[in-house]
Amino acid sequence: MQDNCLTIALSKGTLLNPTVGLLESAGLPSDGIISESRNMVFDFPGNPPIKYIICRPTDVPAYVEHGAADLGIVGKDVIVEQGRDVFEMVDLGYGYCRFVVAVPAEMQGISLKDLNYKRVATKFPNTAENFFRQQGLQVEVIKLHGNIELAPLMGLSDVIVDIVSSGRTLRENNLVELVSIMDSTTRMIGNRVSYRTKYDTIQPLLEKIRGLVKGN
Amino acid sequence: MRNREIPKGLRDLLPDEMKTRRKLEKKAADLFTSFGYEEVSTPTFELLEVVEAGGNMREKLFLFMDREGGILSLRPEMTVSIARLAATHLQDEKLPRRLYYSTNVFRHVQPHLAQYREFWQTGIELLGASGPWADAEVISLAVKVMLDFGVNNFIVSLNQIGIFNSLLEDSAIEMEDKDLIRKLVEKKDLVELPRMLEKLPINDLLKETIAMLPTLHGGLEVLNKLPYLEKNPHAVQAVEELIQIYAALQSMGVQDQILVDMGVLRGLDYYTGVVFEGFSPDLGYGLLGGGRYDRLLSQFGFPCPATGFALGMDRLTLVLKNQEKEPPRYLVGGTNLQAVLRKADALRTEGKIVELDVERLSRESLQETLAGRDHYTLIYIDGE
Repeated sequence: MQDNCLTIALSKGTLLNPTVGLLESAGLPSDGIISESRNMVFDFPGNPPIKYIICRPTDVPAYVEHGAADLGIVGKDVIVEQGRDVFEMVDLGYGYCRFVVAVPAEMQGISLKDLNYKRVATKFPNTAENFFRQQGLQVEVIKLHGNIELAPLMGLSDVIVDIVSSGRTLRENNLVELVSIMDSTTRMIGNRVSYRTKYDTIQPLLEKIRGLVKGN
Repeated sequence: MRNREIPKGLRDLLPDEMKTRRKLEKKAADLFTSFGYEEVSTPTFELLEVVEAGGNMREKLFLFMDREGGILSLRPEMTVSIARLAATHLQDEKLPRRLYYSTNVFRHVQPHLAQYREFWQTGIELLGASGPWADAEVISLAVKVMLDFGVNNFIVSLNQIGIFNSLLEDSAIEMEDKDLIRKLVEKKDLVELPRMLEKLPINDLLKETIAMLPTLHGGLEVLNKLPYLEKNPHAVQAVEELIQIYAALQSMGVQDQILVDMGVLRGLDYYTGVVFEGFSPDLGYGLLGGGRYDRLLSQFGFPCPATGFALGMDRLTLVLKNQEKEPPRYLVGGTNLQAVLRKADALRTEGKIVELDVERLSRESLQETLAGRDHYTLIYIDGE
C-alpha cells in the first residue's frame, strides 16, 4: 500500500464488464482491463495513481481485509459467506442473485423443518449452516466447489443451498426452490484503515459512485 | 519424535523479535514514567465475573475451571483488571493515580497476520481525573509514544461516544436495534445502515444524521455537519467536550496526528466519553485504542472517573520491523581459563557484550567460525 496510490481489487467473471462500465462512468481509467484479459494487475499513473488487481471473486474480500487492496468490488454472497472484517460502502445494484434452499422436484412442498439432520451440499457452508441454525435445525453440510446441482442427482446430498439468478439451472436439473435465504447484489467494500488514511481520495470516489448508482 | 504443534493462534518469539519488543517497551516505559505513570501487574487469569464487568465478550474468552468449581478466564485485556485492582487497593489513596502495564492478553479470535490469540499490550490508565485535560494527556501520550517508536505515518481518530448514544436516546428505538445500529456504524456498513434506519419509527432528520456518522471524518468542522445534534442537550455537551479536548491537544502540539471520526465507537461496552483509535497506512489493522470509562470502576464499588489506552505491541513490531543494527560483540578465547576470564570480565565492566569460547577452540578455528559475522570481534589470549 503506497502512500497515495489507490489499489482496487476487481472480481473476474460476470461482474467484470458492468464493473468496468461503472469505473468508466466514475471517471476512473480502465483501458485494456477487458481486452487484455490475461493480465492480473493494471497500473495507471495519474492523480491519484490507480492499481487494479483482477482476481477470483472469492479472493477479493481477503485482499481488502488485509489491506493489499484499499477497495474491492464483489458480490454480497461472497461477503456474507466469508464474514471478513471489511467496510461495505455502496450497493452497486448489479449482479443480482439470491441464496436459496433447493430440493429435488419430488420433494416439492416439503416443510423446512423436515430437513432436520438432512445432508446439504453447497459452495457456501457458513451461510447454509447459519441459516439452518437460526431456524433451530441441524444439518450436515457438504462443501463442494462447483456444480452443486449434481449432488442430489448423484445421491451425495438430500438438498442444496446455492445462489441462483434466473433459476434455469435448477429447472434443468429437476430441482425446485424451497426457501429464499437472502438476496445479493454487487458491493463496493473498503479496508478499515485505508478508509481513514486515504479518506481524501476514497470519500469523493465513494460519493461519486453512490451518486451514479442512485441516478440509475 | 514428540509433536511440535502449538495451539492455534500462538507463536514463539525469537531473539530478534524479543529485542525489538523490549526496546519498544523500554521506550514506552520511559515516556510513561516521565509523566508520572507507575507500572502494575495483575493475575494472568481472573474470575469470569470480574472479566464480565467490562461487558459481554464471552465468545472471545478462554475459559476454564479451577478445582473448587469457579469459572476462570484468561484476561482478554487489562483495563478491567486494573479497575478491579484500583477498587481493592487504591480507594484510600490520593487521586489522580497514573498506572501503566505491559503484558500478554488472550482472546479467542480467528488468527491471521497481526491477530494472535495471545498478544501483547502496553498501556496506561489515568484514574480519578475527569475533564478534557485528563483525556488530552492520555491521547497526547498515545501520539508521543508512537513518535518515540519512530512511527511517523499514523493518525489517531477521535470520537465522543456520548454523541452517538444521545442520538439513540432521542427516539423510540428498541435495545436490540440500538446494538445493531452501533454494529453497522462501527463496521461502516453503508449499505445495510440506511436500510435498517428506514424501517425505524424515527424522524427523517435523525435517520439522516445517523446514516452520515460512518463517513464523517476530518477536523473539528465535521461536527458542524450534524444538524440534529443541537436539539439534544447531552449531544451538545459531548460535542463541547470534544472541542475542549481538541483544543488541549493543540496546546500539547500533537494536533497534526489527530482527526475526528464519528465512526469510531470501540467494541467494548464500558466506554462513556471520548474514544480513539490509532492507524498507520502501513498496516490494515488498528495499532492502538482507548477512551474514557467513568462507570467501570463503580462496578467494583469504587465510583471513580478514568481514561486510558492500550497499544498492540505485535502490530507495532510489524510496522517498525527491526531498524537497528546488531550491537558489537566480543568472543574471548584462549588456553588459560583465568587469563581468558580476566579479559572477558574487564570488557564486560566497560559495558561490552562478551561471549566466552567454551569449546576451547584454536585461534584458527575461531577465526573460521566468525567469518562473515561482522559484528563479532575475536580476542585470543596466547600462552599460559
